[in-house]
Amino acid sequence: MLESRAITKIFGSKTAVDHITLKLEKGHVYAMLGPNGSGKTTWMKMAAGLIKPTSGEALFEGAPVSIESRKHVAYMSTEPYFYSWMTVKDVGKYYDDFFLDFSYPRYQALIQRMELAENMKTTALSSGMMAKLKIAVTMARDAQVYMLDEPFNGIDLLARDEIRHCILEYATEEKLLLLSSHLVEEMEAIADRAVFIKNGRLIECVDVEEMRGERGISMADRYREIYGHGEGAMA
Amino acid sequence: MSKLMKYEFRKTLATKLILLGITAVAEIAFLLGLYLEKTRLLATSVAILTLLAIGGILMIGLGSILIFHRDINTKQSYMLFMTPNSCYKILGAKVIENGLSILLGGAFFFTLGAIDIALLFAKEGNIQEMWKWIEDLIHSINKNIQLDAKGLACVTFGLLSSWIATVTTAYLAEAVSAALLNGKKYNGVLSFALFLVITILLSWLGQKATQAIVSVNLGFLIQGGIFLLASGLMYVATAQTMERKLSV
Repeated sequence: MLESRAITKIFGSKTAVDHITLKLEKGHVYAMLGPNGSGKTTWMKMAAGLIKPTSGEALFEGAPVSIESRKHVAYMSTEPYFYSWMTVKDVGKYYDDFFLDFSYPRYQALIQRMELAENMKTTALSSGMMAKLKIAVTMARDAQVYMLDEPFNGIDLLARDEIRHCILEYATEEKLLLLSSHLVEEMEAIADRAVFIKNGRLIECVDVEEMRGERGISMADRYREIYGHGEGAMA
Repeated sequence: MSKLMKYEFRKTLATKLILLGITAVAEIAFLLGLYLEKTRLLATSVAILTLLAIGGILMIGLGSILIFHRDINTKQSYMLFMTPNSCYKILGAKVIENGLSILLGGAFFFTLGAIDIALLFAKEGNIQEMWKWIEDLIHSINKNIQLDAKGLACVTFGLLSSWIATVTTAYLAEAVSAALLNGKKYNGVLSFALFLVITILLSWLGQKATQAIVSVNLGFLIQGGIFLLASGLMYVATAQTMERKLSV
């Protein structure tokens, strides 16, 4: 459904993503894992068509990502990106204007659930409220692919629970969910597949249950192995 | 495209409202000065209104360049580039909205000026003397300009087209800076140099094309046409640069 072929992005002298070939299938929730600066965000932005790769390509349903794929891929950036003059209502109206798969009634239900009000100014929202708003507006789309970059960043436990429930409601057979995070424990409860990225390179893409069954290790154990805090840490 | 234009208009609304507010205050001062016969207030308000007419159009253009800069260089860019719209549409909405704002702004100040002059004539009575004074003033700038409706329309068209070309040139320089020179040394200097070179070239081209033309009105029309054509070319070049190279 969503893939990259030898995709590479170089910023000046730094290689952010280094020849990553990866194929993600629908019906799964993927956790894209790695410490800050490992290339998760850059990969996602290339898959969303926001960043042009230096070489290689990103594909959606076998075709290069394009204006067409943006109709079916819902991307949520980790940074706030709404216009400063917007209220919570304006954000919903904006998405409603541009995305055919957006449901305003669902958005209203989600913001109510997230304890947000339509008349709130986006500039006045706390980081936790902003995270909730980003989730609400992204999940109010009936997209085929959801890419959420660090959805749990900077928010409290209760808000995390709410966001987790909201995400899981959308994890159906027809959809692909990709969540990036360095909060591995949080991901363990949501994802059934894990993508480990280190220094811009793909280490592996694994089925979490298989990893538990065959190797006897959890996602967090594998994370420690790869990023250097456990036995057999990878160089 | 209409939805993109709606949001482009919304982004520039604050600037336009501020401009409109100041103009309204200056206009009230003008009317008070005229009907209460306060010469000093009248003179000050006329000076402010003249400045606003010139500065307002400049402000609309500069505001649009600033918004474009933010739209391709900050996280706010996601609002545009994650939507299923091509760079041609995104930029097209900006160019049309800005072009219309400049033209409508120009028409607004032109009409307001015409009304104010008419009110002044009606109040003062000595129309011929005042008209001569305005003619002398315009002729001191360019003795070939004819002070009739046709002449003023041609001058306005030429000047506004020139400003639209300047704004689209700035768009191109911004896009080159963000897409091709991003992270490179002397990025700002190089993109500003590109802006200057194109602006000077266009000005030279406009002068060359109208050198042999005696009629000032026709000269302004031809120059305006050249500037609008250049704006179109600048639009295509900017959209291509964004489509192929811009990462946000």
